Amino acid sequence: MKFFAVNGTRPIRLSEETRKFAFESLNHKYGKDTWNTPAVSMDDYDNFESLTPLQKYDAMIAKISSTAPIRICEGEKISGAATLGIAIRHTIPATFNGDTLYSSISHLTIDFETVLKKGVNFIQKQAEEALKKYKGTEKEMFIQSCLHCIGCIRTWHNRYLQQLENKSQYKANYENLKNVPFEPAKNFYEAVQSIWFTFAFVRLCGNWPGIGRIDWLLGDYLEKDLADGTLTLDEAREILAHFFIKGCEWIRGEECGSGDAQHYQNIVLGGIDEDGKDTTNQVTYLVLDILEELGISDFPTTVRINKNTDNKLLKRVAEVIRLGGGVIAVYNEDLIIESLVEYGYGLKDARKFANDGCWEVQIPGKTFFMYIPFDSLQILQGETLANYNNDISFTDFKALYDKFIRDLKSTVENLITTRNTNSFICTGVPTRDWNWKPNIPCTVVSLFEQGCIEKGASYLEGGPIYNIFSPHIGGLPDTANSLYAIKKLVFDEQKVSFSELMNILKNNWEGYEQLRQYALNKYAYFGNDNDEVDMIAKNIINDFSDICDNASSYSAYNTPAGISTFGRQLEWSPHRMATPYGKKAHDILSGNFSPTPGTDKEGATAIIKSYCKADLKRTVSGAALDIKLLPSAVNGENGIEAIISLITGFVALGGHFMQLDIADAELLKEAQLHPENYQNLSVRVSGWNARFVTLNKEWQDMIIAQTGNEF
Amino acid sequence: MRVADIQRFCMRDGPGIRTTVFLKGCPLRCAWCHNPETQSNKRELLYYETKCIGCGACGVCNQNAHEFSDYHTIQRDLCIGCGKCVTECPTGALEIIGKDYTIQELLKIIEKDRAFYGKNGGVTLSGGEPFMQSEEAFLLLEQCKKKGIHTAVETCGYFSSDILSRAVPATDLFLWDIKDTDSQRHKDYTGVSNERIINNLILADSLGAKTRIRCILINGLNSKEQHYKNVAGIVSRLKYCEGVEFIPYHSYGGAKTVALGEIYLGSDKWIPSKGQIDEAKKYLQNKGITVL
Ligand code: SF4
Ligand code: SF4
Repeated sequence: MKFFAVNGTRPIRLSEETRKFAFESLNHKYGKDTWNTPAVSMDDYDNFESLTPLQKYDAMIAKISSTAPIRICEGEKISGAATLGIAIRHTIPATFNGDTLYSSISHLTIDFETVLKKGVNFIQKQAEEALKKYKGTEKEMFIQSCLHCIGCIRTWHNRYLQQLENKSQYKANYENLKNVPFEPAKNFYEAVQSIWFTFAFVRLCGNWPGIGRIDWLLGDYLEKDLADGTLTLDEAREILAHFFIKGCEWIRGEECGSGDAQHYQNIVLGGIDEDGKDTTNQVTYLVLDILEELGISDFPTTVRINKNTDNKLLKRVAEVIRLGGGVIAVYNEDLIIESLVEYGYGLKDARKFANDGCWEVQIPGKTFFMYIPFDSLQILQGETLANYNNDISFTDFKALYDKFIRDLKSTVENLITTRNTNSFICTGVPTRDWNWKPNIPCTVVSLFEQGCIEKGASYLEGGPIYNIFSPHIGGLPDTANSLYAIKKLVFDEQKVSFSELMNILKNNWEGYEQLRQYALNKYAYFGNDNDEVDMIAKNIINDFSDICDNASSYSAYNTPAGISTFGRQLEWSPHRMATPYGKKAHDILSGNFSPTPGTDKEGATAIIKSYCKADLKRTVSGAALDIKLLPSAVNGENGIEAIISLITGFVALGGHFMQLDIADAELLKEAQLHPENYQNLSVRVSGWNARFVTLNKEWQDMIIAQTGNEF
Repeated sequence: MRVADIQRFCMRDGPGIRTTVFLKGCPLRCAWCHNPETQSNKRELLYYETKCIGCGACGVCNQNAHEFSDYHTIQRDLCIGCGKCVTECPTGALEIIGKDYTIQELLKIIEKDRAFYGKNGGVTLSGGEPFMQSEEAFLLLEQCKKKGIHTAVETCGYFSSDILSRAVPATDLFLWDIKDTDSQRHKDYTGVSNERIINNLILADSLGAKTRIRCILINGLNSKEQHYKNVAGIVSRLKYCEGVEFIPYHSYGGAKTVALGEIYLGSDKWIPSKGQIDEAKKYLQNKGITVL
């Protein structure tokens, strides 16, 4: 059993049985099993068609909880499993006449705090109270559905208890599951089971919730057990490892290998609590131990770092990052909390932040979250420059920039007031006091979102305390680079006239290779710590954030700005024309707020500096930076120090979210095939350095052969 | 100062994240040189054949150094290093090695990564031999220290011992090369003998210089027990030495030699095996010397 590492070897701390369980889970054993039972069928339900959507939903959840296969894995320490395959497709796994009916919910982190500390019975009491309040109103149906779904959890829970009770080797599991998640957890083991069972049920019903601040949730339980002497740290690690291993039960090896984090089961570690106290505890380190040993990348994990973060934690984080696989990212907690407070969140809630499925900041258990992605480069090319129509001309850079911002504004406003929102959650042009449109039922997640039961409204119908609809700008570095290249080529150096350039770009640089090379190589673009272009990016972000903040005043939800592509640069590429900075039509350009491939030539510190020049407090939803490092860059003791320095520099300079990844020889081979994308890739041996792409094939092969040992 | 290259985000030239300034000019001419473009203190033209698209823009040369017959050749002896063709070349296939910076300009560049240096990281002067431009090197190092930036110098150790009284206080850490302890071989392969280098090292130590010794390991030349023994002997006389680092010879320097239009004298046979590297390390470790 070997758990893959790009760099170095993974330590062994867990028992042989647990490691075997992990190995099998990561190698699709349970994912394949899940796919054998895709969904329950509603065909035998009398008059199913005549039911209202909510009644249908309730019937589906009932059927799922009473008939979904029960799975108890050999030797598992905690129980509960999402065994219906269609859930892996973000759909409620129940069919009628062969078709599924409702999509499900993701991009939220549910309220595990209430589950752990007060129990599902408490939520039931809340619902019973609400029922009194809403009796006879149109909200009664929703509250009834809540009570019904809690009943379904109980049904499913009883089925597990029965199975466990009959098997002597699972006596501990049985005892441990008996009270939770209905009653408050009494110790660490129960707490892990409580979170897992709730998570598994929500997933069983098709949803993809995040987990959030697992160390903060579990820390006190562990400290107490350790103090009482009822649990050892090693035992706790084993229990917690089973949580992570069971979380791999959807890996099927077909659509996504274990490297993909497709189901948004995000985790946030470290950081301060609502009173400003550091929450880092033994659980934080246990999670890092487990990720380090098993290399599980299915729980996208982000550590909240602030200016006072302990060096011990930084070092552990760096050690895990160095193994590669992109398992751990970092947040700059100082900036994010400030950003949330400036946006209007209360300080206590702001300090509780976690995220949705990826890295978009939200307050867990209180937030409806959705984002609207769009491509700023297509706005520049299609609107501002009218698809490079040669009639288009601007007298100076400012006129060009201002027109772009006007186009950006109308696009964003259009997205918010009509298109997406209209079809999705509201009727008509939304106003501050609109009525939420009845939406697809989603009672199960609504149980675990504060505000829903109190307001008698579901997660999709304005129930949660915070309702976020975040416009996400994509292609931002490409847009800034394009504007900068026009500024240099046309206005500053007058290499070409505006209309000539439009013509050249329309023809995809055909016949102008020399000028294209000039544009590509002679200017330092975003990611090289060049103020001139970095300020263009910064200004766009400020203007974009103003537009978004303004939109909140005429919509029922809040519309904080964010920067992302999440890989959309691939699907956008067929629609993109040549860029003024030398890229050809349909090239794959920048991801998230990272430099365009091939344009960053100064290394990781310069990338971080370019990124941090923007006022990232304004992008309340988030702005992600991805950096790839060669294993050779982070070898040895100094490698750990280097990673720590990148992280602390990123925090000191005002970054938001950063994913450091360690890439291997495969990357060098890729660079050999596509040198244009890897201009900055330096290869280093003590005292010697060269840019990889400047070497001929023979030299390159030699270095590839060396990667992983000498480097 | 005449600079060959400046690299940010270096992890191999001392502790932490560093900005390394590779300076032009070296008193040695090692046959195995890893950075041949830093040897001469003149401005030199580098030409990367793989990047050339044959556009002919470099034809602007007043000296007619670029020739296009069957393929693109450069008459190096005509080139005066003016850099005109480099400005015109759209792809970056041409590069002038040897740009002159003022101390202030260099400080500004070094300061750029300040946020990442932390306590240990900082600036490293490398080369070439930084003390070939000793007066400016002192100024730069002293200024950095004043600003609280950690300073390191990678040196071949071949210079007049007079400079040490100023170099030592300005340098937080020396990465000191001992290329060979056999005086004759040293002379044969680097052009100078090693007595001065070793004497300087011992003198620097007596002035309180913190050092890390860097030993290039070349199969068939210095991969010998006698050499390791000599290294151990020297190190044992040093009070402030942090340890020894072996640098296995590699022939990558050859790529840059070719770009300079010169013939590379190194040989693949010189590459030491993993076993040889381990043997060298072990020898020193057994003598109680820290191997980095
Ligand atoms: S550097 Fe100047 S002299 Fe040398 S080839 Fe280029 S243009 Fe000619
Ligand atoms: S200008 Fe550059 S790309 Fe063009 S022929 Fe000369 S070296 Fe080659």
